Amino acid sequence: MSGGASNAVLSVRDLNVRFNSEDGVVHAVRGCGFDILPGKTLGIVGESGSGKSVTALAAMGLLPETAEVTGSVRLDGKELLGLSDKAMCRHRGNDIAMVFQDPLSSLTPVYSVGQQIIEALRIHHPGMSKQAMAARAVELLSMVGVPGPRDRLKAFPHEFSGGMRQRVLIAIAMANNPRVLIADEPTTALDVTIQAQVLEVLHTAQDETGAAVVMITHDLGVVAGMADDVVVMYAGKPVETGSAEDIYYNPRMPYTMGLLGAVPRVDVADKASLVPIDGIPPNLVRPPAGCSFAPRCPLAEEACLQGEPELLPVGGPEESGALPGSGAHQAACIRTDAVGPGVDVHELFHAPPVPVSCFDAVPRQERRTVLELRDVRKHFPLTKGSLIKRRIGTVRAVDGLSFDIREGECFSIVGESGCGKTTTLLEIMEFNKDQDGEVAIGGLSNKAASDARTRGAMRRELQMVFQDPTGALDPRFTVFEVLSEPLENAGMAKPAVRKRIMELMELVGLQPDHVNRFPNQFSGGQRQRIGIARALAVNPRLVVLDEPVSALDVSVQAGIINLLDKLRAELGLSYLMVAHDLSVVRHISNRVAVMYAGKIVEIGHVDTVFDHPRHPYTRALLSAIPVPDPRLERTRERIILRGDLPSPLDAPRGCNFATRCPVFAALPAAKQEKCLTAVPPLGPEAGLQAGERAAGPDQQFACFFPDGEIDADMLVFHEASDLPDLRSTTPRTEKMKGTP
Amino acid sequence: MTNLNAIDPAAVAEEARIENDDVVMAKSAIILRRFLRNKTAVAGLVLFLALTVFSFAGGFFSAWDKETIDPFNIGMPPSAEHLLGTSQAGIDLYALTVEGTRISILIGLVVGLVSVLIAAVYGCTMAYFGGKVDKVMLFVLEALIMMPALLVVAVATSGGGDGLRENVPSWLLLIIVLLVFSWMGSARLIRSLAMSLMQRDFVKAARYMGVPARRIVWRHLVPNIGSLLVLDITRGVTGAVLAEVAFSFVGIGIKVPDVSLGVLINQATSQVQTFPWMFWVPLVVMFLLTGSLAMMNDGLRDAFDPGSGSVGRARRKGK
Repeated sequence: MSGGASNAVLSVRDLNVRFNSEDGVVHAVRGCGFDILPGKTLGIVGESGSGKSVTALAAMGLLPETAEVTGSVRLDGKELLGLSDKAMCRHRGNDIAMVFQDPLSSLTPVYSVGQQIIEALRIHHPGMSKQAMAARAVELLSMVGVPGPRDRLKAFPHEFSGGMRQRVLIAIAMANNPRVLIADEPTTALDVTIQAQVLEVLHTAQDETGAAVVMITHDLGVVAGMADDVVVMYAGKPVETGSAEDIYYNPRMPYTMGLLGAVPRVDVADKASLVPIDGIPPNLVRPPAGCSFAPRCPLAEEACLQGEPELLPVGGPEESGALPGSGAHQAACIRTDAVGPGVDVHELFHAPPVPVSCFDAVPRQERRTVLELRDVRKHFPLTKGSLIKRRIGTVRAVDGLSFDIREGECFSIVGESGCGKTTTLLEIMEFNKDQDGEVAIGGLSNKAASDARTRGAMRRELQMVFQDPTGALDPRFTVFEVLSEPLENAGMAKPAVRKRIMELMELVGLQPDHVNRFPNQFSGGQRQRIGIARALAVNPRLVVLDEPVSALDVSVQAGIINLLDKLRAELGLSYLMVAHDLSVVRHISNRVAVMYAGKIVEIGHVDTVFDHPRHPYTRALLSAIPVPDPRLERTRERIILRGDLPSPLDAPRGCNFATRCPVFAALPAAKQEKCLTAVPPLGPEAGLQAGERAAGPDQQFACFFPDGEIDADMLVFHEASDLPDLRSTTPRTEKMKGTP
Repeated sequence: MTNLNAIDPAAVAEEARIENDDVVMAKSAIILRRFLRNKTAVAGLVLFLALTVFSFAGGFFSAWDKETIDPFNIGMPPSAEHLLGTSQAGIDLYALTVEGTRISILIGLVVGLVSVLIAAVYGCTMAYFGGKVDKVMLFVLEALIMMPALLVVAVATSGGGDGLRENVPSWLLLIIVLLVFSWMGSARLIRSLAMSLMQRDFVKAARYMGVPARRIVWRHLVPNIGSLLVLDITRGVTGAVLAEVAFSFVGIGIKVPDVSLGVLINQATSQVQTFPWMFWVPLVVMFLLTGSLAMMNDGLRDAFDPGSGSVGRARRKGK
């Protein structure tokens, strides 16, 4: 590929953005440049604060007046920077459109979806007739896969689920067939199965309009499947650019390597430690003297601190000065020769060895049970009416859950949001005898927990780490107070408390003299470490982890996962983890349960379940996870589930997955009857004899037709969708006017 | 359990250092440090302390006291003998001001602090327990709000309750009555704030650690509405001083021979033209008093609120 400055739709050159803040001027973007060709996708990857969103907003002219933007952004050769807001409005939403991260707040709640789509059309095509606009809106909604588009036009945003709202936003962005579509973390707020749907929609939309897409995300998996070219940003500067293959298979900048090594893989069973990148990104108030990554880089040497390295072509006599997006592989590193395919990233970043727990050698059946749940239920009544409350239904948030956790084991519950994972955790944490079902913690049953003493004993066995590290720490407590609370509560003497806290700080990898600081003086990863230290303070045997890393950046996340792994091995802890990120679950867990609508649909050893999923929901869930491997990602077949979780009001009588089940859809009507009327029980393979069952793999599932054939409509091959779909590619104005 | 039980010399040294308390700083020390960073607030504190000292020790610098009448100097402007002049009754105004300042500070501080404290604990308790407890406590609160405070004060300090009046001085009675009627508004506000705090994870975390309810209210809820409390305290002190002035003005607060800034101002209002010093001296003192509290306001909030900018410079960040 040659430098494509001439035919690029959007070309950004030497973009610099500065903001003023209390501490001084923040240089948020420092010389970003790229080209993007029509029909291509450019992925911009980076951690939070790396300047990726600011770059997009600068291109859209959406930054506040107070920001100083210099450089050049050209759309089809026309300079966009410096245009007045009014002049910019002619382009925004017309030639260049944007999809935002949060679908819940990006739509106006008081207008119907149709009105909002039509508004986008009317602004740029004032002459269009009402009927034509309505017809185009219907066409757009059906393009993004909203079922029943004609009726849904009149629906209001609150009547749509998150994934559906994101589709509507894509429809609005695509309304005027933009040349460039900027998607800023379009799927971050969505569940994996919905993410897969939305990514498919973006693909279709791109195919139909030939738009260039700029995909901004922190998820290396999403980029792998979508992007042709990738720009890795760090501290406001692109540090490595190239084709997706170059970046993923031949990274030449230590940061990129670290980032790739920090992501756990959902498709690989090996138990190597993840690559943690120490430290935090630099503060952009003071421009770094040398390479911005040098303070965190294991390869840094004296020369790295002398001036910031420029983006230079990597290996081979390619012409210099080529721009990102033109396909040339470039890295801003003076030590590219020391990094390459042959270098082991684990060695490079000194990843810790895989910790071995003393329990690993003991067979599972011989270990003590730490937690046991028997038929736990949590139903919420659904009422209607303001004065007299009428019960109109029941939400079965948790519906008959049974599992146990043994010593030294990590057990994970996965599933989409709303499937009852968190409710399960809360049920365990509540621990009182009025609960429906039995919870036994270390031999103490909730049915026997009447007095405060038993409950106190139980609290010492079981502690919790929360999802949001900021919210879980009292902002008015210093770290010392945070950590001393559980200890004092357990009746420990003052000097002992102090000693224990120093031990804890060291255990979780924090500097002991930071105990006087307030939580807001720490980074997110450090705060989560404090949360973990607090949970470990009273030496519990079971720690409940509620999405422990979902609020953290990839490189920080790796450090926390390694820490959790180490603590499990060293202290003989058991974990009960809830997570929606299946790659993290695969990396850290021993056993896993997949939940759907309040029930476990599949449970077993993590490798068995992930490598040989039997339940169609597990299969769909696994196929929806993007893998940071472009070649695999592009050829992999995916199951795209239709629709969302069923509303609790019309819960099906039989299998509750039947409404979305790809196997069910392919079944002959006679067999479908069974799924609709009977609830499949959770159990091992039906055909096995009793003896075989015990010896067979640790796996149980709740499906009548495991390994059933999957409905072809729900399978998506990426190659197929890359071909232009001729059905609806019609020139835009003619088509719009022509439709009645 | 490997590294928990490991013993090495470094750890022992570390332990000694911890025992000697140079690592762990007391919370109060941290708060003090943060408060001292705000210069205006420090100035306010100095002013306030100076006024307090003046109100207690000021009497020693003058030969006169608040009861002795100087028959040769009645209604005289400031002179060498009487630093701030005398009242129409021939009592030294300096002595009256010292006495009045003390009573006013006492009333202000006690009413301001205690009423906010009651409001905080009451409001947080309502929010924490919710349900029936909340309903009953809310009813009590509403009932108190409906009560006509002015009449009760009038009755308590002048009319009925004679036995009570003989045993307690009038300023103490006023404090009690002001206390009873001053905390309800804040309590309601605090209840709603605390209710939103209850949803936060750190309250959940404390509950799951088995921390008893009263400690959660006291250690997590009350401090987290601290900014509001601090504002409420200074506002409450000012409000109590003003209420005292107002009650004394209509003639039902502090009774002679007790004297307060409000009583002094009240006595002087009718003769501002003829005896200006009698009006301006207590008024300036009251202004200094409320002003010093207002100056401390910001500094106190910064000190208690970790989210504020008072982090200090030149501290290392990150690992």
